[in-house]
Amino acid sequence: MSEESVISQTDIEKAINSVKAIKDGPRALQLYMDICAKCGTCAEQCHVSRANPQRRTNPAARSDLIRKLYKQNGSILTKIRGLFNGQSNNLSPEDIETWVRDFYECSGCRRCAKFCPFGIDNSVITRKGRAIVHALGMSPKMMAQTQEMSDKFGNDEGQTYASFMNAVEFLESELQEEHGIPIKIPVDQEADILFVPASADLVSFPETQMGCATFFHAAGLSWTMSSEAFDGANFGLFTGDDAHMKRKNKLLHDACLKLKVKKLVIGECGHAYRIAKRIGGAFYWGGDIPYEITNIFIIAAEELARGKLRLDPNKNPEPVTYHDPCNFARSTGVIEEPRVLLRACTTDFREMTPNRDYNWCCGGGGGLAVMDSKEGVKKNEVTFLDYRMNVGGKMKLNQVKETGAKYLAAPCANCKRQLMQLMDYHKMDVRVGGVFDLFDKAVILDK
Amino acid sequence: MGGIKIFIGEILPYITLIVFLSGITHKILKWTKAAQGKMTLYPAASTPGDKWKRIVKEIFIFENLFKGNKPLWAGTWVFHVSIALILIGHVRVVTDFPLLWQVLRMGKEDVDTLSTTLGGAAGLVIFIMGIYLLVRRLAVQRVREISDKDDYLTLALILGIIITGDIMRFVTHFDLAQSREYFVALFTFKSVAVPGDPAFLLHFFLGQLLIIYIPFGKFLHIPGTFYSKSIIYQE
Ligand code: SF4
Ligand code: SF4
Ligand code: SF4
Repeated sequence: MSEESVISQTDIEKAINSVKAIKDGPRALQLYMDICAKCGTCAEQCHVSRANPQRRTNPAARSDLIRKLYKQNGSILTKIRGLFNGQSNNLSPEDIETWVRDFYECSGCRRCAKFCPFGIDNSVITRKGRAIVHALGMSPKMMAQTQEMSDKFGNDEGQTYASFMNAVEFLESELQEEHGIPIKIPVDQEADILFVPASADLVSFPETQMGCATFFHAAGLSWTMSSEAFDGANFGLFTGDDAHMKRKNKLLHDACLKLKVKKLVIGECGHAYRIAKRIGGAFYWGGDIPYEITNIFIIAAEELARGKLRLDPNKNPEPVTYHDPCNFARSTGVIEEPRVLLRACTTDFREMTPNRDYNWCCGGGGGLAVMDSKEGVKKNEVTFLDYRMNVGGKMKLNQVKETGAKYLAAPCANCKRQLMQLMDYHKMDVRVGGVFDLFDKAVILDK
Repeated sequence: MGGIKIFIGEILPYITLIVFLSGITHKILKWTKAAQGKMTLYPAASTPGDKWKRIVKEIFIFENLFKGNKPLWAGTWVFHVSIALILIGHVRVVTDFPLLWQVLRMGKEDVDTLSTTLGGAAGLVIFIMGIYLLVRRLAVQRVREISDKDDYLTLALILGIIITGDIMRFVTHFDLAQSREYFVALFTFKSVAVPGDPAFLLHFFLGQLLIIYIPFGKFLHIPGTFYSKSIIYQE
């Protein structure tokens, strides 16, 4: 795709027009064009900028790719400011190639917004930039392919009904073997709860999926999965493709209506929950949707508080630490619930510093975690894997090292992949998995 | 000289007022009317009251910045507090408060001493902080690499205002009676002699330029911060 594509004059005009349109766009974008004081604080608080300090990784400089263009093309007011900066009014094909590279260096983790004196969230500008290159067909290959796959099959992995049912059957037999009793994964049944993980869990992180099933069993909840909507992951958030994001979110909505559930419960996937709860859900389908949208950590913490779960922390004696997926901590406020659960399931829980909403991103955010090659991004000097291992993941790696933990719990499919690769790459003796993996070990079931 | 005096003292003030008011109204309306989806940054404020409490706290103590960059926090906090003090002090340039002084049992001399010490101190401190911000912008690589011409221009403008202000206070000892008389005339559209102190003229001129520039440049962070914080704090 991107390698062969030639950027035409029409493409450039399209890009410029999208930037111009910001002047009547969302309030946050308008403000971010106007109020950045170039104080440099975000450069100190962004993991990318810290790990690889140079102008292009400076969040304010990356945002300036769009901001400068906006100021030449915006209203008269902003033009005056543009004049002072002596900017020439052109966007070259090369500039657009630069956009693809630079906007895919930001993981959209929103840490900068926690420290900016005005709360400027540079990820909003990043997403705008990505949306523009996506509209020109220039998204990194893997991003575009995953979306296509998802539109075709309803999940990012391209699983069919048969392969999904196979996976479910396999997991049920594993559960039987592990616990010595049958633990069901109900599919397409009317129930109180529709459970939606990231479909990657079914294939790549089966222990997490098994732990979730065991939890529903142990708590005695009425739940089901849907063969039509078992993937909460949604790359529309990463590519800036709002239409795709809405299409994919509709699968969940439709399944909830069809199965008449009271709750949509998202599993261990940060961005899936953010979209289901904060971006989509009631905002797409109306405030009167007949089901509540929540998350498996929230209901598990409730069941635990109610005394419905019996857990033996001695089953997990190794030192365990917790990685706050940014989409849980900063974007949906799921912060204490996973910790409550971890403390109940382990004997040696250790916090990283900084943690919670100040946590460093794993370096795989914004969809980066699934990309390994250069993905057809012309200007990439290194592969995405190289970049994630040596730049994006650097702050996280040091944090994990400091804890001395042997198990790193990261409840997000993207974080898991990034962190597994990171630990491998740097020869760290640390296992990476979910929170419910540990729950599955610690839980005491009635036989 | 006479022409410049008339322009700065009798024409420009009206232009300043019109440009500033229309510019800022335009911006505020634009921001207010713009649609915005939820993009709360957690932990969120629990109630609207809580949200505003956090915004006000940010405005007064710059908590985010404190967590993000301590030296800059110290410098810029002192800088902004000095601006606030100086702006309050400037009310005396336009009018006096005999009643207030009576209530506080302060004689003219006491008021002058207060003004000289507090105003003088603020004038010096803000000069030092202005220089600090400029040096930081030039010396710290991560700041320098994102600095544009208008970042330097605004700093230069502010420093120009500070220096001319300090000259009036410490060198030419500007007499406030002159300016009060002048401002009363200005507001009642009467023609009265514009104070002739060149430091005053330059100070007044640069100050007006700054006010004109507020709706167009980075000074928009002053009103903008209420809006941008409101977006990420809301629940
Ligand atoms: S911290 Fe905020 S104001 Fe400062 S440079 Fe970054 S985005 Fe701009
Ligand atoms: S969103 Fe994260 S990666 Fe992007 S600029 Fe901000 S801190 Fe850096
Ligand atoms: S991959 Fe994980 S840490 Fe990283 S952005 Fe997603 S949730 Fe955040």
